[in-house]
Amino acid sequence: MTLRTAVLSAAAMLAASGAASAQSTQAFNVVGTIPSICAMEEPTLADGSLINFRGLNGTTLEVDQLTDPSTLTTRAASASVSFAAVCSFPHNLVVESESNGLWRNAGSGAPSGFADGVPYLAQLAWGPVNGNLVADASARRANQVTIGVDEAVSGEIVVDLEIQAGASNLRSNAPLIAGTYQDTLRITVEPQ
Amino acid sequence: MTRLSAALAAFLWTACAGVSAAQEESQAGPVPVTGNAPIFCTVGSLQGGGEVFDLGVLVDLSTGLLLPSLSAPPKTLTGAFCNTGSMIAISATPISAQTLTGTPSGGYSNEIDFTATASGWTQAPASFSTATGATAQSSQTRGDAFSGDIVVDIGTFSTSGGSALRLVADPVYQGSVTVTLTIAN
Repeated sequence: MTLRTAVLSAAAMLAASGAASAQSTQAFNVVGTIPSICAMEEPTLADGSLINFRGLNGTTLEVDQLTDPSTLTTRAASASVSFAAVCSFPHNLVVESESNGLWRNAGSGAPSGFADGVPYLAQLAWGPVNGNLVADASARRANQVTIGVDEAVSGEIVVDLEIQAGASNLRSNAPLIAGTYQDTLRITVEPQ
Repeated sequence: MTRLSAALAAFLWTACAGVSAAQEESQAGPVPVTGNAPIFCTVGSLQGGGEVFDLGVLVDLSTGLLLPSLSAPPKTLTGAFCNTGSMIAISATPISAQTLTGTPSGGYSNEIDFTATASGWTQAPASFSTATGATAQSSQTRGDAFSGDIVVDIGTFSTSGGSALRLVADPVYQGSVTVTLTIAN
């Protein structure tokens, strides 16, 4: 054996005893993203929730008999409407009444002694939050409430609508002038 | 033997035996020549160089639920070899939200389980599910030396906690896969 051979042999033994060559590893990352999304479906009525409402026609909720036929005062009515919804990030729930109450469509104003607006209350429940929108029919204008929700929520936005007996924009139990009364309620989930 | 050879041989014996016995004229040998081929494993080189499985958007934007069609192209490790019996092992960590911390709110999850497989090395692929952790399938052995390609793939995605859960928004969801070749004991 020459010296050169002996030295090479010793080097090979050292390499064989090292751990690095006995194991080899490759690591991978797996990545993806989830954008901020909010989605809401068409409204549905909660079973058995209708009192003096005819039901949903698309997105229109129609009161069956708004007035008592003998006194022309407002009849009580209530309904519970649900919207299946999801928001994958902290967001705001905004509920807006376009007219701040049910108002008669045609004409302006009402003859003395008659009311042409009907207040109502919308109670909201969405995940961890609750809120109220009081559409008091004090003036015909937009009225909205914004509720901050600091977490992702999925489930149903429940809106309980309530019209109290005798409610009007004039005084309790004032007669309502004839006409079609309506309001538009918008429910929005949006980034904060 | 030349004078040079004799001198070299004498030097070697000195180193091995530690005895000072140099003589002017002596016959060296026979000297056995030995050597070791080191046992060695390598996972080879990653084809294309990309070590990232990019799944893109993970959820159906209209429902917020995990996309059922989620997939990413497999990765190939070319030129892998072990010059003795070997074991291939695979492990993985769930794809989880990196920015948001804490427990997600009701109806939501922040983690996606998946299964990673390494095939081509052993008859049965090594596979690892982040939902169940390491099992007998997570490492496979072969008794002989081998060289070839290893294909690493991911699939069978599921929302941790149940498929009815939605996933919280987060710009970065990340998990990992690790493939290891080791000499068999």
